Amino acid sequence: MGEVQWPWQYSFPPFFTIQPNLETRKKQLDAWRSLVLDYCRLHKIFIIDVREGEHLPLFNNTAISRKLSPQAINTVLEVLLSTGNAGMVDKSSRSRWYVYWHTVDEWATIVYKWAQDNAMVNTVCTFYELTNSSGDLNGLDEGILVKALKVLEKRQLAEILTLDSGSGVKFFS
Amino acid sequence: MRRRAGVGAVHKQKLEQEKYKDKGTVIQENQFEQMTKQMEVFRLNLEEFATKYKNEIKKNSQFRRQFQEMCSSIGVDPLASGKGFWSVLGIGDFYYELAVQIVEVCMATTHKNGGIIGLDELRDRLIKARGRNKQHQEITIDDLLCAARKLKIFGNGFCVIPVGEGQYMVQSVPGELSMDHTAVLKLVSTSGSAFITLPSLMEQLNWETTRATNVLNSMVTEGLCWIDKDHKKDVSYWFPSMFTECIKSS
Repeated sequence: MGEVQWPWQYSFPPFFTIQPNLETRKKQLDAWRSLVLDYCRLHKIFIIDVREGEHLPLFNNTAISRKLSPQAINTVLEVLLSTGNAGMVDKSSRSRWYVYWHTVDEWATIVYKWAQDNAMVNTVCTFYELTNSSGDLNGLDEGILVKALKVLEKRQLAEILTLDSGSGVKFFS
Repeated sequence: MRRRAGVGAVHKQKLEQEKYKDKGTVIQENQFEQMTKQMEVFRLNLEEFATKYKNEIKKNSQFRRQFQEMCSSIGVDPLASGKGFWSVLGIGDFYYELAVQIVEVCMATTHKNGGIIGLDELRDRLIKARGRNKQHQEITIDDLLCAARKLKIFGNGFCVIPVGEGQYMVQSVPGELSMDHTAVLKLVSTSGSAFITLPSLMEQLNWETTRATNVLNSMVTEGLCWIDKDHKKDVSYWFPSMFTECIKSS
């Protein structure tokens, strides 16, 4: 696992204050968006809890003692939401968020491709098999997996099944 | 006995004065003619010189600067005249090309610095963009200043701001910076850091709260600086254009 390439903004103290000037804020949030996605992709983070945000180096640069407030983290995540790169885990509380460094549609495509590559089409396999396979799907959060599979269901390429040993899915050609 | 001045004497005096005046004009004209001739010869020589050393002027930065100085001392600006002899020579082309590259660098960095860039950073980026060839590399700060000043003809969208100690910044966003803005830039640039706080600005420039607040707020509005609200300290105003990591970032 490589190191994150921190952008210059990460050491720029005002990066951690949401900017009042609209244009500057747009640039700032754009930078945050790519940083969050890069960071989560590298560290395989699927869920961000806003209340725990400061425990992630992502939101807390101890070198310059600046951190993003929970409120600001929410602002950043809302930007990710608008581009399809985040979603609330639970609609009632706004503190837990999925981060989609692949959008759900992309995940669906990746899952289906896995099924094709591993000759799983027209076969039932468990979520466990999927998330413990080698490759992109390894460690994938089950919540996100279900969302991706639902996309495949819509495309009529899969059906989610309830099995004795947990959940599973059957892929169609 | 002293003779009293008569009408004749007055006439005589007047005549003499006129003669003096005439002579004076003749001498003046002579001198002027000579000077004009000399200047003409000098100009011709200079032009001949320029044609002969055209390539040298393009390649050698020191030579270029001296040539510029020579030209400006006799009131010839090889850049300003778009028509006639000088344009045929193509001396100005070097600077026009440079000016275009300056605009390109400014445009490419606006998203980071909000439209002001230090001349040193500008030079670094420009040289990187110009390619490896040695003659492309030898661009001096003087060359840049010369070229950047020419961009003024596009209105107030482009200007060079002296920020003290031989340091310059190039502004590439529309909207003229006021004296107060320039003063702030100067202060931050000479402080060696990339930020300033309201109290420190007021203290160092002896400004009242309203004046200092107005300037800082307008610079935030222009996108030239970012604010940093650290609850432990005063709000500080940061300039990406002077922030080392930003300057160095690709």
